Amino acid sequence: MITEPHKRIPARGLLAWRISGTIHSVFPLLLSGGIIALAILFDWPIWVIGAALMFFSAYAYFLITVIPALRWKRWRYEVRENEIELKRGIFVIKRTLVPMIRVQHVDTRQGPILRKYRLATVTISTAATVHEIPALDVEEAEELRFFISQLARVADDDV
Amino acid sequence: MMMSNPKRLHPISAVANFLKQLKELIVPFLIFVVFGSRGGNGEVFQLVITAGVVIAVFIIGVLSWLRYTYRVEEGELRIEYGILVRKKRYIPLERIQSLDLSEGLLQRPFGLVKMKVETAGSSGAGDAEAVLTAISRKDADYIQQAFSSAKNKPSENRNELESAATRRKVIYKISAGELLLLASTSGGVGVVISAVFAFIFQFEEIIPYEKVFAGLEGFMANGIIFVSILVFIGFLLAWIIALVGTMLKYAGFTLKKTEKELIITRGLLEKRQITIPLHRIQAIQISENLIRQPIGLATVYIESAGGSLEDSESARVMVLPIVKRSRVAGLLKSHLPDYELQPGFFKAPKRALNRYIWRGLLVVMPFTIAPIIFFRPWGYFSLLLLIISIVWSYLKYKDAGWDISSHQLALRYRGIVRTTVFMRKNRIQSLTMSESFFQKRRSLATIEAVAMSGTGGTGGTVLDLDRNDVYAIYKWYSYTGLNGNTPLQKEKRP
Repeated sequence: MITEPHKRIPARGLLAWRISGTIHSVFPLLLSGGIIALAILFDWPIWVIGAALMFFSAYAYFLITVIPALRWKRWRYEVRENEIELKRGIFVIKRTLVPMIRVQHVDTRQGPILRKYRLATVTISTAATVHEIPALDVEEAEELRFFISQLARVADDDV
Repeated sequence: MMMSNPKRLHPISAVANFLKQLKELIVPFLIFVVFGSRGGNGEVFQLVITAGVVIAVFIIGVLSWLRYTYRVEEGELRIEYGILVRKKRYIPLERIQSLDLSEGLLQRPFGLVKMKVETAGSSGAGDAEAVLTAISRKDADYIQQAFSSAKNKPSENRNELESAATRRKVIYKISAGELLLLASTSGGVGVVISAVFAFIFQFEEIIPYEKVFAGLEGFMANGIIFVSILVFIGFLLAWIIALVGTMLKYAGFTLKKTEKELIITRGLLEKRQITIPLHRIQAIQISENLIRQPIGLATVYIESAGGSLEDSESARVMVLPIVKRSRVAGLLKSHLPDYELQPGFFKAPKRALNRYIWRGLLVVMPFTIAPIIFFRPWGYFSLLLLIISIVWSYLKYKDAGWDISSHQLALRYRGIVRTTVFMRKNRIQSLTMSESFFQKRRSLATIEAVAMSGTGGTGGTVLDLDRNDVYAIYKWYSYTGLNGNTPLQKEKRP
């Protein structure tokens, strides 16, 4: 068997995803709210209200609890001397190898939610692809960026 | 010959500028004509404006020609241009990726060439290159030599360069028969047909189709044969247009090799020359379309790095337009020794067939069921779709394959066209394997490799291979070696 990547995303990442999931559920909330209001105003059948409520609660449930939890549970990464390995996916599990000598540059990025939890997103670009570790501790992300750019600089061969 | 004095392009480029600008103005002009002719003496007014614009465009064309100068100085190609805002673009010769020469209809009569200078700019689409619209052959040669000597370091003198030029070896030259075969089996026909239809429907508002058809209705009712003949003639015409277009484009196709480059020349009306430096080759792709595959013919492309966003043609270059599949390896082997172009392939296992077929069926299912519900009895014909889908899925399954030979990964898959892509390990930018829940149950997995092409990516994805095979590829690619790199003990099927 191949050794699997074993590093996890910090637990705060899960919290951050839940929060952004909550923010995202505002949209279906408005939608369902609108439909319910219309249903009451125009005397639509009662099941419309039920359906709208169902829709909203299912959407929010998945976006806030199920998906972030599964995503967090599955995410693994590992940065080795020669390569970066990522493993992720909810229904389809993907494992990606990016050799260090193919890495062109590494960026870190932080939105307001990630910043509150001292997290950052790391993106790793090769000449043709972009890979992402969605949430890492800020210091670890910094370190990683430095580490990768050091290693990537060593091997500066063809493309 | 010195070229440190600024030189102008040939005056014909002023005409070229003028025509290009006019071409870009056609659409606004048409809008102007259609929407602007409502007033009383609107027509005179329109005429004056049109003449004014044409004269202005002509003057701008001439002025921009006057301002445009180029020279080779201190190891740089220096271009200065611009009418109101003067711009200078200095390109160091060693930064130039390639010089593409072409002869268009305008250049031909004067013995001129158009030179496209490509640099490895990822800075932006337009900035990556400069175009000298019309220069003499002599000047083009001079720039090319300056460019080659800058690349090959100063120690090499001109004599050596000239002998390098004569050392060119012709790998492939298209024959008349092959050209005809290429044109008649290309997929361009479909494009032309849809273009013709699009064109016809453009005029829907002008030509009263409905009235025409209403008049014809009686005739049509008992004239299905007549209609089919019309359709057939339409298709035939489209096919002939595509045929002629392809033949003009690929006439005289020649692939040559110098020490460090592949050089392609082609075209009858517009001659094009494309240069691919060997060290920039990222992947080789063999594709066989539905018409060509049964007669054993294939097309070979080379994906290379660099090039600009606008000109995707320079990233994916056709190197062998049409050859026997079995000849590909023989033709290219001695010139591209890094690639093993005729490996045996490991296939997808039998248990994957189910998944291939279901995937196809799920896609066509709605298109089959809907007509059956709504258009009975004719809707039952949509069942044919299911059969097509099954056959197609079976072909996809049969063609899925992979191979590893020392430093090369070969993947084979089919969308509509069967594609075989060869990538060297050090050209693969990233490798991904994926397993869905259903794949896991049957211990199958999907592999995807990405190489660079132009400014983007290319590569291949093969679905539902044996999971152990996919692991083997994954291991092979890993630089850490993971846990022991045991070679595969498995029999290959061709």
